[in-house]
Amino acid sequence: MEQINYIGESLWIGHLSKAYIFGAFVTALLSLVSYFVSFYAKTESEKVSWHRIGKLSYILHGTFILSLLILMLYAMVTQRYEYSYVFDHVSGDLPLKYILSAFWEGQEGSFILWMFWHVVIGFVLIYRNDAWNTIVMATLAFAELWLISMLLGIHIDFAGYHFKLGSNPMMLLRDINAAPIFSNADYLSLIKGRGLNPLLQNYWMTIHPPFIFAAFALSIVPFGYAIAALLQKNYTEWLRPVLPWALLTAAILGISLIMGSLWAYEALSFGGYWAWDPVENTSLVPWIILVAGIHTNLMSKATARGTRSTFIFYLSGFLMIVYSTLLTRSGILGDTSAHAFTEMGLEWQLTFFLLSFLLPGLALLIYRYRKIPVPVKEEAIYSREFWMYVGSLVLFFSAVLINSASSLPVFNAIMRYFDAGYIGKVIRDPIEHYNKYQLWIAVFTGLLSGLSVWLFYRISEIQWRPLITRLSFHMLVAVILTWLTSLWISLPQWHFYLLGFASWFTVSSNAEYLIRHARNHTKMTASAISHMGFGIMAVGILASGLNFSYLSNPFVFKGLFGGDGDEEKYVQLIKSKPLLIKDYIVTYERDTLIDKARFYDVSFKQIEMKGNQMKVIDSFITRPNAVYANDFSKIAAFNPDTRHYAGKDIFTCVVSLPAAVSDSEQAKAIEDSLQYIAYKLLPGDTVSLNEAVLTIDGINYRPRHSEYALHRHDIGFEIRYHITDKTGKREDGLCAIGLDGNILYKYPGKHENFGIKIRPAESLIDGLLTPEEQLNYKTFTVKKDESFAFNGYTLRITGFDKETDTLRYSAEPGDIGISGLVEVGSKDTAYLVKPIFVLRGNAPMSIKDYIPETGLHIRLSRIDPTTGEFEIKVAEDKRGNLLLPVEIAKDVPRTDYIILEAKIFPGINLYWLGSIMMMVGLLVSWYFQYRERKRWT
Amino acid sequence: MNKITILGLLMIGAAAFIFMNASKDVSTYSNFSEAVSTGNRVKVVGTLSKDKALDYLPEVNPHIFKFYMKDNKGNEKQVVLSKAKPQDFERSEQIVVTGSMQNDQFYADEILMKCPSKYKEEEINLRKRS
Repeated sequence: MEQINYIGESLWIGHLSKAYIFGAFVTALLSLVSYFVSFYAKTESEKVSWHRIGKLSYILHGTFILSLLILMLYAMVTQRYEYSYVFDHVSGDLPLKYILSAFWEGQEGSFILWMFWHVVIGFVLIYRNDAWNTIVMATLAFAELWLISMLLGIHIDFAGYHFKLGSNPMMLLRDINAAPIFSNADYLSLIKGRGLNPLLQNYWMTIHPPFIFAAFALSIVPFGYAIAALLQKNYTEWLRPVLPWALLTAAILGISLIMGSLWAYEALSFGGYWAWDPVENTSLVPWIILVAGIHTNLMSKATARGTRSTFIFYLSGFLMIVYSTLLTRSGILGDTSAHAFTEMGLEWQLTFFLLSFLLPGLALLIYRYRKIPVPVKEEAIYSREFWMYVGSLVLFFSAVLINSASSLPVFNAIMRYFDAGYIGKVIRDPIEHYNKYQLWIAVFTGLLSGLSVWLFYRISEIQWRPLITRLSFHMLVAVILTWLTSLWISLPQWHFYLLGFASWFTVSSNAEYLIRHARNHTKMTASAISHMGFGIMAVGILASGLNFSYLSNPFVFKGLFGGDGDEEKYVQLIKSKPLLIKDYIVTYERDTLIDKARFYDVSFKQIEMKGNQMKVIDSFITRPNAVYANDFSKIAAFNPDTRHYAGKDIFTCVVSLPAAVSDSEQAKAIEDSLQYIAYKLLPGDTVSLNEAVLTIDGINYRPRHSEYALHRHDIGFEIRYHITDKTGKREDGLCAIGLDGNILYKYPGKHENFGIKIRPAESLIDGLLTPEEQLNYKTFTVKKDESFAFNGYTLRITGFDKETDTLRYSAEPGDIGISGLVEVGSKDTAYLVKPIFVLRGNAPMSIKDYIPETGLHIRLSRIDPTTGEFEIKVAEDKRGNLLLPVEIAKDVPRTDYIILEAKIFPGINLYWLGSIMMMVGLLVSWYFQYRERKRWT
Repeated sequence: MNKITILGLLMIGAAAFIFMNASKDVSTYSNFSEAVSTGNRVKVVGTLSKDKALDYLPEVNPHIFKFYMKDNKGNEKQVVLSKAKPQDFERSEQIVVTGSMQNDQFYADEILMKCPSKYKEEEINLRKRS
């Protein structure tokens, strides 16, 4: 094949990035091997020198990763579309602030982000260099080896099988696509990037991924410590240094979950903050397991109990992170999830990644399990460690339940591997399913966390009376608060009362604990903050999740779906027509296009009747929007807008738009399907259309149609009319036609309320405007201020103007031009026109002026400076009688409405407050553990 | 036996109980003829019958969207969905609806669509600079 010398490609970027990837792979491998050799080395000097090699190779590895990241960002900022990753994620119109979002939109970029955090964490670990460092670093290097392998992009053909090891993001576009365009050497000047998915063009996409991947990266540290402890046969001393890492991991992962939840609620049209989507679940599960691990860790540090469980939890925490990566990136979730990555063909590589951590970890744990010390004496039933242990088991139980249900697609895939005809299983109503079981987890969590704060570690004696008094008090508070809650929101079944009770119990109990210990034992407040947060969050879920309601007209549907009847969810709002919905007057006021989104202003006025007086007690505007696809051909998605109050949110989202508005193809199909009927009418003539009557009022020679003004025209005409119906409702209208060079533009008049569309026929122009070549110009040679007559008009040159720029003429360099001021008088009006005379080089040109009302064409065709005489040419349009040709369509579908979903979420702020408090508690605890560890080492 | 072991066994018991119970929440992907014969609430997988008209008249009722769908066995039924017409519905490759059969129509209240990956279909050479 002929070799093409492509123009404008920067091949060095590809070569360099391949070198970086390869370098990072080799150094990760070297680091892993060195750390292991160091660990098993016999002599101290060997240990030290291999450790140093491991460390240096990891630092080198980190340098490669950072360089790769910078290089790829460079290629993206400079829009090197010859590279597939740049082509797939960047476009010329993408604002620079979204370049990071574009970077981690794809799988490869997000792997690099993950590695970036491993590098940062690795550097911190290298700097601290504690007794567990060798194995923790080896674990980190092992994970890096896997992650960088995802970018290798090596294809292996072996024994008839084709293996793909990773996918290189910096492949040349023309190497992976066989499109005809690549036969053009200058193809780069013809293509532009695909750009970032418009749905992801918001700040959440900038901040959420760094957090979630920081959490992913952090989760390997507790795993690494657990492996190190097992290998070093030192089962207890690691419990202290690992704790701050586990706390930080749980805090960052939890913050990421809240961010994801906020993103879904604030910016996406899911209509809620948690949907039990498998992608959400697989990030929640590791968090729950880590929290269980933190509890057993705290406990085993204080009492030597629960060490084995701590191993299990920390090991499985990271494994669940890898598992979630497998699920979200392999495409296995398919039709059960709304937001997984697109497939990359790496499912086997990801599976081996998981197995390579799972199998050795599991084997090591089983092998050493019996050696992990357990105290001989059983704990007392009234000791704190017993109930904390129970709590951890409850959390673990919750994780197992969530994980089993979200793993159904994996189960199906495995079954289908053995039996291709296996019919996959699926949860019929996922949200209902998860809520049903997790409710009980929340009840137990509430009760246990409210109880265990008042118990003590390692006790054999207990004073029952103060404990019972205290617990009874908090139970009483919880009963009262649950009763008050039931007045505020409805709790339809008894177990919701129970959840309310358990939640308020832990809030009340931990609040007292917080107040008692805030001054003297600041460290103790962390758990109280988290546990109160949990209770508050649960109440928030009862309020907002169980008691949300639609702002719509209720119960129109009754019986259609069998049950008690479904509540209406949406309302149709017609522009400028107020609608009374419950106690709100809702109006769709206007829409505005900003960048790629069309914003719909919807005003809400809450009213109250006082006797016969209507009073507006609250008034606000929400602006939900619709986002267009990058090429503006259709609407890609809807984004909500929410009005926040302390006690509730009012969430609004457009769910549907008229077909003609949401898709340009459909708009054309609808326009084509309209049946226009042609009429020729005189001013005063009427046409009956269904219930309405249209009357022609006359013609405008200078169009005022709102869209006409937005375009350049040489000449235009407009028909004035009005429509009335039997009730006397009247709408005035305009429909215009305009000419720009040879192109004709029509501006129809649209009457949504009557379903009528009217447009001028093309022959309107023909009847009014005679083409230039058919005009009979009459020539006059006159001096300034000399009057002359033409077809009953009196003309006179009154002066000259150096300003020559008009719609019909714009001066080019070298032009010498002047406009004549010509006064044209008829019986009742006078017009001033400005024909232009131009010398371009030596060639004279005359630019005519036109009076649409009279149909006069006027040219200034010659200037004689010696005699002071001017040559004026005048012609008149051949206009017949004024029959106005129009085309009218009736039964035109409306395009001026939105279908709106408006939801009221009571108490949603409790959900946010509670969940944030949980993370604050973890961070406070991290801070104190971190300080404490510093003091010890 | 110590307390934690007893507790662990209790939890395993609870897990087994839940597992048995949850099997009621689980179903296989079904088809229209099964939905007719059992009358149960099921999930049906299929494709949109693109030759038949989509019926969504928000002026009349924004909550009802009717369309025809072919299940995996090739059976075609009208689906009555109690939701607004989803964006880009015409382009869907696969549809999963949850609901039950009533009078030869499938009444659904949940829908999941699989759309062609956003840009996959488009040829590179179509994206010339405008």
